[in-house]
Amino acid sequence: MKYLVKKIVTLIMTLFLVSVLAFLAFQIIPGDVVTSILGTEATPEREEALRKELGLDQPPVVRYVRWAGNVLKGDFGESYRYSKNMNQMMPVAELIGDKLPVTLLLAALSMLIIIVIAIPLGVFWARSKSKILDVSLNMGTQTAMAIPSFFLGVLVTYLFGFVLKWFAPGSYVSFRDDLWGCIRYLIFPAISVAIPKIAMTARFLRNSMLTERSSDYVRTAFSKGASERRVSYVHVLRNAMMPVVTFLGMIIAEIVAGSIVVEQVFSLPGIGKLLISSISTRDFPVVEILILYITFVVIFVYFLVDILYRVIDPRISSK
Amino acid sequence: MIKIEHLSVAFDGPEVVRDVSFTIGDGEILGVVGESGSGKSVTALTLMGLVSESAHVTSGKIYYDDQLLLEAGKPRDNALYREYQGPKMSMVFQEPMTSLNPTMKVGAQVEEMLLLHDRKCLGESIASAPKQNEIQTQKGQLADAEGVKMEEAKTRYAVGFTGWREERKKEKARRKNRVLEALRGVGLREAERVYDCYPHQLSGGMRQRVMIAMAVILHPGLIVADEPTTALDVTVQNQIIELLKKINQEQKNSLLFITHDLNLARRLCDRILVMQDGLIVESGHTEDIFNDPKGEYTKKLISAVPGRTGKRKSPHEKIRPLVEVRDLSVFYRENANSLFGKTVKKCVVHHADFTVYEGEILGLVGESGCGKTSLSKAILGLNKMTEGSVTHHSNSPQMVFQDPYSSLNPMKTVGWLLQEPLRAQGILDPSKAMSEKDREAAAHDMLRKVGMSEKYFTRRPSQLSGGQRQRISIGQALITRPGLVIADEPVSALDVTIQAQILELIRSLQEELKTSFLFISHDINVIYQVSDRIMVMKDGKILEIGETEEVFQHPKDPYTKELLR
Amino acid sequence: MKKFGAWFQKQNMYLLVGLLMTGLAVVLGILSFFWTPYGTTTMSVAERFHAPSLRHLFGTDNFGRDIFSRVMQGIGTTVIVSSLIVLISASAGILIGAVTGYFGGILDEVIMRITDAVNAFPSILLALVVISILGSGKQNVVLSLGIVFTPSYVRIVRSEFIRLRDSDFVCRARLMGVSKLRILFIHILPNIWSVFWVSVTIGFNNAILAESGMSYLGIGVQPPDASLGKMLSDAQGYLGRAPWYALAPGLTIVWIVLGFSLLSEGVRRKEEKKK
Repeated sequence: MKYLVKKIVTLIMTLFLVSVLAFLAFQIIPGDVVTSILGTEATPEREEALRKELGLDQPPVVRYVRWAGNVLKGDFGESYRYSKNMNQMMPVAELIGDKLPVTLLLAALSMLIIIVIAIPLGVFWARSKSKILDVSLNMGTQTAMAIPSFFLGVLVTYLFGFVLKWFAPGSYVSFRDDLWGCIRYLIFPAISVAIPKIAMTARFLRNSMLTERSSDYVRTAFSKGASERRVSYVHVLRNAMMPVVTFLGMIIAEIVAGSIVVEQVFSLPGIGKLLISSISTRDFPVVEILILYITFVVIFVYFLVDILYRVIDPRISSK
Repeated sequence: MIKIEHLSVAFDGPEVVRDVSFTIGDGEILGVVGESGSGKSVTALTLMGLVSESAHVTSGKIYYDDQLLLEAGKPRDNALYREYQGPKMSMVFQEPMTSLNPTMKVGAQVEEMLLLHDRKCLGESIASAPKQNEIQTQKGQLADAEGVKMEEAKTRYAVGFTGWREERKKEKARRKNRVLEALRGVGLREAERVYDCYPHQLSGGMRQRVMIAMAVILHPGLIVADEPTTALDVTVQNQIIELLKKINQEQKNSLLFITHDLNLARRLCDRILVMQDGLIVESGHTEDIFNDPKGEYTKKLISAVPGRTGKRKSPHEKIRPLVEVRDLSVFYRENANSLFGKTVKKCVVHHADFTVYEGEILGLVGESGCGKTSLSKAILGLNKMTEGSVTHHSNSPQMVFQDPYSSLNPMKTVGWLLQEPLRAQGILDPSKAMSEKDREAAAHDMLRKVGMSEKYFTRRPSQLSGGQRQRISIGQALITRPGLVIADEPVSALDVTIQAQILELIRSLQEELKTSFLFISHDINVIYQVSDRIMVMKDGKILEIGETEEVFQHPKDPYTKELLR
Repeated sequence: MKKFGAWFQKQNMYLLVGLLMTGLAVVLGILSFFWTPYGTTTMSVAERFHAPSLRHLFGTDNFGRDIFSRVMQGIGTTVIVSSLIVLISASAGILIGAVTGYFGGILDEVIMRITDAVNAFPSILLALVVISILGSGKQNVVLSLGIVFTPSYVRIVRSEFIRLRDSDFVCRARLMGVSKLRILFIHILPNIWSVFWVSVTIGFNNAILAESGMSYLGIGVQPPDASLGKMLSDAQGYLGRAPWYALAPGLTIVWIVLGFSLLSEGVRRKEEKKK
C-alpha cells in the first residue's frame, strides 16, 4: 500500500516536471506566435492587442500557473490555428477528442497483433533445437527490427494496396460512420507498427526462456522425471513471462511513437498527424496539451504494468 | 543395486570423468569426495540422466537393479529415465536458494512428484509399506500405467461426470495429505504453513528440507545428494546430516553423498570414493581410508583438512595495541518502504569492545549474518553509521576478500595491480612517492614473497586460478606494509588443498613482516590453525574472546561449545 | 543446411556480415562527397521514371535524376549526422552516468527523475519538440537527437557504475587511498567498455532511424542536403508508377541498420565467448 502511494507521488511529480518543460519550452520564443498568426505586415498595436488577448504579456510563471490551473479544471485552452466558426477558435479539448480514438484504436490493434504473434513465436523459437532455424529467425527478426515504421508503412501500402489490392490506400472511413470498415482499414497500419515490435518481443521472450531454462530449478524439475514439454510450459514459461510483461509495457511508448509516424503514411486523422501539423504551424496550446497527454498515457501504462508485475510475481507480492 | 562400469564423460574437450566404475549396495551410504573439477558432480548428474546435452558419454554403462539405464554410444532414453527419476531415484542439490521454482508454491512443487508418478504406482504399493527392493520390469510398470488409465476411464464412465469430479477432489485431498506428511517427516513442524509458502519465504535450511521431502516422498531406492549442506551454516548443516542419516535408517534406501568435505563424509558414509581429475584414486570403507590412506592424493587431502592439530606457536606478547575498538555499535539503514523512503536504523553489531595487538593474528568466528563483515567494514571506516570509537595506531589497514574472482580488477595485469597501492600512496603523500623502477622492483619482490614466479607479472586475473588470485590479493594488501590486514573469509571459496597452502602463506608472511591480521571465518578449524587469539560472534554480539588454546579447551559460552562439536 | 546453421554461429558470421554491410554503406557514403555516378541535381525530362537498369542501378525519379547517386549522398548525410549524434550522446552519457552512478545522492535522484521523464516519452516526439524550439536543419537534428539519446547512455553507464562501485576490487582501491577521479576513470571505466560498445552500435541504429523518420516527416534535414527519409516521402506519391523510387532509399536504411544490428550481435557474441 505504501508502495502504491509512493508510486503515485512519483507519477504526479513526473507529470508536473513534464508539464513545466512542455510549457516553458515554448515560452523561449514568444514573439513568433503573434507574427506567425498575423503575418509580418501587422501593426505593432494589433500585435500588442493580440498578445494581451492571448495573455502573452504576463511573466511565464504567472502564465504557467494560470495554464496549469485551467488544465486541472479540464479547460485545455483554445487553438491558435483551428477555428470552430467565424468568431471562435477551436477548443483544444474538442480538437483532440476528435482524433484520439483513431490513435488509441491503432495502438490497441497493434498491441493485440504483437501479443498474439510474438508470444507463440518466442516460445516456439526457444523450444526449437534446429540451428538453421535459429539463424534464420535471428536474421529475420533482426531485419524486421531494422525497418523504420514509415518505410514499413510504404511497403505495406505497396504490397497490400497496389499489388494484392486488399485495400485502397487513402480510403479511411471514420469510426463514427463504419466501425468495422474503420478497423479493416486500420489493420494495415497496425501491421506496420507491429512487425518490428513482434520481432523485439519474440527475441526478448526467447532469451528470457533460455536464461530460465539454464537455472537450477529446471534441473530439479527434470530430476522429478518431468518431460521436456511439462518443464517448458509449467516451470519455464511462467518465470520467463515476468520480465516480458515489463517489456511489453515499455514498448507501449514506442507503439505510440510508431503510430504517430504511421498515421502520416496512411493519412489517418489521429493525434500524430495533428501534432506534426501543430508543431509546423506553431500552434502551441495544442502541442502542449498533446505532449502532456501522451506522457500521461505512457507513464500511466508503466504504472499499471508495475502494479501488475507486483501482483503476478510472488517474490514481491507475498513479501 | 547401482552398477556403473567404466564410465567416461566429456564435454567439448578432454574427458572430465574417466573410466569410473563403482557399485552402490542396498541401503548403503556411499560418499564421493573430491575437490572442484574432480568430476564428482558430473558423475552424479550422468547417473541421474540430468547431465546437459553437450556432454558425451564416451564409454561405459549404468545399471539400476540389472536394468541397463545408459550405454555409451547410444542416445539417452529419456522416456525410460523419466520412469526412474522420482519413484526410483531422486536428487538433492547444492543450492537450496535456486533449486526450487521461485514462482510456484512449495507444496505444489512437492506435489508435482506425485502428479507425475502417482498414477504409475497408484494404490497399495506406495500407500502401504514401501517395497523398494522389489524388482519391477519396465514393461510391467507400463502395463500398470495403462491399467490405471483404464481403471480411471471405467470409474468415470460408471459414476458419471459429477462423480468423477468428486473422485478427483478426494484424490487431491489425499495428495495434499501425503505432501504434508512428507514435510512433517523432514522436520518441518508447520507443514500446513510451509505448504502454501513460496520458496523465498523460507530459510535456506527449510528449503533444503523441502528438497529432501520432495526427494523421499516416493520412497525411491536411491537418493543422490550433491553437496547438500555446502551452502548452509554449520549448525544447520549438522541438522541436515542427521536428517539424511535418519531417512537412510528408516527407509533403507541407498544414498550417494557427494561432498568436498572429508569430515562430513566421515560422519555419514559407509564407504568412500576419492576422485581427482575425473579418476577414482582410492576407494574403501570410511575408517580404512582415514586410518590408512593408500594414495598420495588422499593423504594430501586428509592432511589438508583443517583439524585441531598443527596450531602455530608464535611467541607474541600483547605489548602495543594496534587497533582499539571501544563500545562499537554498527547500524545499517533498512528501507522501511514508506512514503518518502524513510529508513529504519538497524543494529547489526552490539557494543563490540576489543583490541588488536601488534604482530598477532586475531581470529573472528561466526555464522553468516552474525555481523562479522559489518564489524570489519566499520573498523576500516567503510561504514559510517557507527557509535563508539575505533582508534588506529598505524597507517590505514587493508583488506582481503572472500571471492578471489571479484577482488582483482579484471582489466589490469598482475604487475599493475601490485604497483597500484604504491602509486596511490605516492599521490597521497609525495614524500613516499617512488620511481617507476623502484615500484616495479617492489612488485616483483612481493610476487616472489607470495610464492609466484616472474612470468605471472604480465598476466591478467582471468588467466589465474582462484588460489593464485588470492595470493595476488594478499600481496596487494601487504605491499604498502600496513599495520593491519583484515582477511574476510579469505579461504572459504577455495578447495581444501589450496586452502591449506594459503593459510600457510598467511602464517609465514605474518612471521616475516610482523603485520597483524584480523582473520574472519565461519570455519572454527581454519581459525584454530592461524589464530593467536579467538573471538566468537553471534547475532552481532561478541560472546567470547581469549587465547586460542584456552577457548578450545574450556569454551565458556554454550554457542562456542556447539561450534566446537 | 543443418551444418550451415552451426557453422554460421560458430564462426561468428554475424560479425563478418555486419562489418561488410556497414563497411560498404560507409564507403559509399564517404565516396559521395567526392564522386557520384551522375550529378545529383541533373534533371532530364527524357529520363523520367526509368526502371532500374545497368545505366541507372536504382532507376530514375520524377525529375529524371539518378536515384543511386542521390541514395549515395543520402547515406553520406545519414552517416555523418548519426555519428555526431552518437558522439554527443555517448560522451555526455559517460560523464553523467559515471558521476551519478558512483556518487549517488540527491544529484543522482534528480537526474534519474529527468531521465525517467525523458524515457517515458517516445524519442521521436521529444526530438520534434526540441526541433520546434530550435527550428529544423542539420545542426539542430544533431543537437536535438543528441539530447534525446543521452538518457539511454546515462542509464547503461550508471547501472554499470553502480554495480562496480560496490565490487570488492573498487572497495580495496578505496582502502589503498586511490583518488575518486582515478577510481572512476582508471579502475572502473575500462570494465564497462564491452557493455558500452554494444549500446553504441544500438545507439547508431536508433540515431539513423530517428533521423530518417524526422526527415520523412519534413522536420529533419532540409534540402539541399540529401536525406533518405525525405526521398522516401517524395517517392510515396509515385508508389504505383515507380515503386523503385521508394524502395531504394527505404531498403538502404534497412541495409545500414541491419548491418549495425548484426555488428552489435557479433560483438556481443564475441564478448560472451571470451568469458
